[in-house]
Amino acid sequence: MSDTVLELKNVSREYPGVPPVRAIDNVTLKVMSGEYTAIVGASGSGKSTLLNLIGTLDRPTEGSVFIDGVNTSQLRDRQVAGLRSARIGFVFQQFHLLEGMTAVDNVATGLIYQGASRRSRQERSTTALHRVGLGHRCDHTPAMMSGGERQRVAIARALVGDPAIVLADEPTGNLDSKTSDDIVALLERLNAEGSTIVVITHDRELAQRIPRRISLSDGQIVDDATTTKEHS
Amino acid sequence: MTAVASPPATRFRSRLRPSDLVRTGTSGIRNRPGRAAFTAVGIAIGIASMVAVLGISASSRADLLAELDRLGTNLLQVQPGQDLFGEAATLPADAPLMIRRIGPVDGAASVAKLQATVRRNDQIPTSARNGLTVHATEPGLIDTLEADMRTGRFLDAASAQLPTVVLGSVAAERLGITNLQLGPRVWIADRWFAVIGVLEPMALHADLDRTAFIGLPVARTELGVKGLPSTVYLRTVPSQVNNVRAVLARTANPADPNEVQVARPSDALEARAQVDQNLQRLLLGLGGVALLVGGLGIANVMIISVLERRTEIGVRRALGATKGHIAVQFVVESTLLALLGGLFGVAIGYAATAGYARRQGWIIDLPMEALVLGVAAALAVGALAGLYPAARAARLDPAEAVRPGG
Ligand SMILES: Nc1ncnc2c1ncn2[C@@H]1O[C@H](COP(=O)(O)OP(=O)(O)OP(=O)(O)O)[C@@H](O)[C@H]1O
Ligand SMILES: [Mg+2]
Repeated sequence: MSDTVLELKNVSREYPGVPPVRAIDNVTLKVMSGEYTAIVGASGSGKSTLLNLIGTLDRPTEGSVFIDGVNTSQLRDRQVAGLRSARIGFVFQQFHLLEGMTAVDNVATGLIYQGASRRSRQERSTTALHRVGLGHRCDHTPAMMSGGERQRVAIARALVGDPAIVLADEPTGNLDSKTSDDIVALLERLNAEGSTIVVITHDRELAQRIPRRISLSDGQIVDDATTTKEHS
Repeated sequence: MTAVASPPATRFRSRLRPSDLVRTGTSGIRNRPGRAAFTAVGIAIGIASMVAVLGISASSRADLLAELDRLGTNLLQVQPGQDLFGEAATLPADAPLMIRRIGPVDGAASVAKLQATVRRNDQIPTSARNGLTVHATEPGLIDTLEADMRTGRFLDAASAQLPTVVLGSVAAERLGITNLQLGPRVWIADRWFAVIGVLEPMALHADLDRTAFIGLPVARTELGVKGLPSTVYLRTVPSQVNNVRAVLARTANPADPNEVQVARPSDALEARAQVDQNLQRLLLGLGGVALLVGGLGIANVMIISVLERRTEIGVRRALGATKGHIAVQFVVESTLLALLGGLFGVAIGYAATAGYARRQGWIIDLPMEALVLGVAAALAVGALAGLYPAARAARLDPAEAVRPGG
């Protein structure tokens, strides 16, 4: 069975200014559980804005965002935060790991806000690090790691809470092509294992490997193409 | 799981365990211990000075009160005042006798200041001043004053008739008399007097430390003076001090009670314990200013820290922290910084108190309230200093904070 994990209904986001910038303009969109989706588009087309709306870091000026069937516009700060903590995983272009913390503690940060015990946090984080192939680097700090390793820690952090959807904004944007390939392969594997993933990318090659591609232009969806399964 | 199905919107509630509240609140401090230490210094100085002020004045008071206790507050003194025309009055010769007859008086003794000088030998001219006085007195003086002998003995009924002298501590020092083994003598009013004793310093009667005491009888016979009392000291039953005081002038000089001055030497000590309070308030105020400056320092560093940690804040929000969790994290951090400063401050303040009290030879008396107050003040200042930075951190737009290049 295939549930709707994410639904946007006539969502717009206007940044105030003279004149106001309509970064997202009347977007309607559905993402099903287990889907792997790319958002592509020129710089300034509204990709990051869209991802932030999906991730409830930002609120639409019009329309509604549903996560797991919950209308997020009706939630209070504490509930939205709880929703993010339980259902959404973020991966950032610049990794955004917290310096001075070990990989395990970085991965465990989100679980803190679920009220999980320290012991269970450690266990789940270690498991997540093993899943991304960093089981041997648990006690290393980001400063001791390469870019690719840091991004894998960040991916483990996004996965550890077992989210309904993983959102990645240019996850390979700061990596060389070899390392990018590893990360792309990792995301593919995670998707194959059941994770729902939405990735923003500039990288045409990466986008071509992703089954569903949503093209944005001036804040509007101009194309939504799905390739039927044909990868190795 | 609850049996009642809750509406989907309230399924998710972000929460933070108290232990994790401390964990997140200390993360900034753990990452930058050096900065934390510098930030806490201001608070430490403020708290240390406040604790030291309270501790030192409490120790000083405790010392004064202990001394008062030891000296007793039941010693009174009677002196001649002025007559109606502003001329120096005198006390009748039998004033000590009359005073001793008052029921609740345990003992009284007079001293009569003489015009004579005391010097080491007859070669030193009378014009050379040494700041020492000569008093004729009664054997009971030492008991009335509860004074102690450093060496030798005080005048008694027999030695009071002879040319013998007992020296106050300063007088002995100035006359170069340290021990009595060689039978030292001093030159008083053109006669040799044998030194038979030296007194310990007297806390309430520094003037008597500079005095050579000879017997009243020998003063009358050998020096030919009347020896009218210049001061009569008396001890009362402790509970009767005020009653005795009320009748003292009339008893000492029934003819002219208005020409009598009655005082309690311990009042001066007690006044010293009082006067300290004004100074204490001033110093406490200064400590408070230091504390305030320390608090502003913390607020300042916290504001900078919030700016520096924009990304961390954004990431934590993305990972499920509420605005409240972020605010609390920064309030806890600034409170802990101040607590750190406060604990150091209390320790430094205590050390300063102990060091100062020891040098002064006081008992160390640091009121528990001062310590509790010090830590509490630090906590309060820290929490207050954290409020504004915390509010700024909570208001930060998470979408902006995690944006690439942002
Ligand atoms: N806080 C803001 N205030 C005003 N305008 C904004 C703000 N954030 C973004 N914009 C504008 O909204 C539009 C969409 O921005 P967005 O960052 O979503 O684009 P993007 O597709 O992610 O671009 P890039 O590929 O360069 O990351 C742009 O025109 C941008 O200038
Ligand atoms: Mg972008």
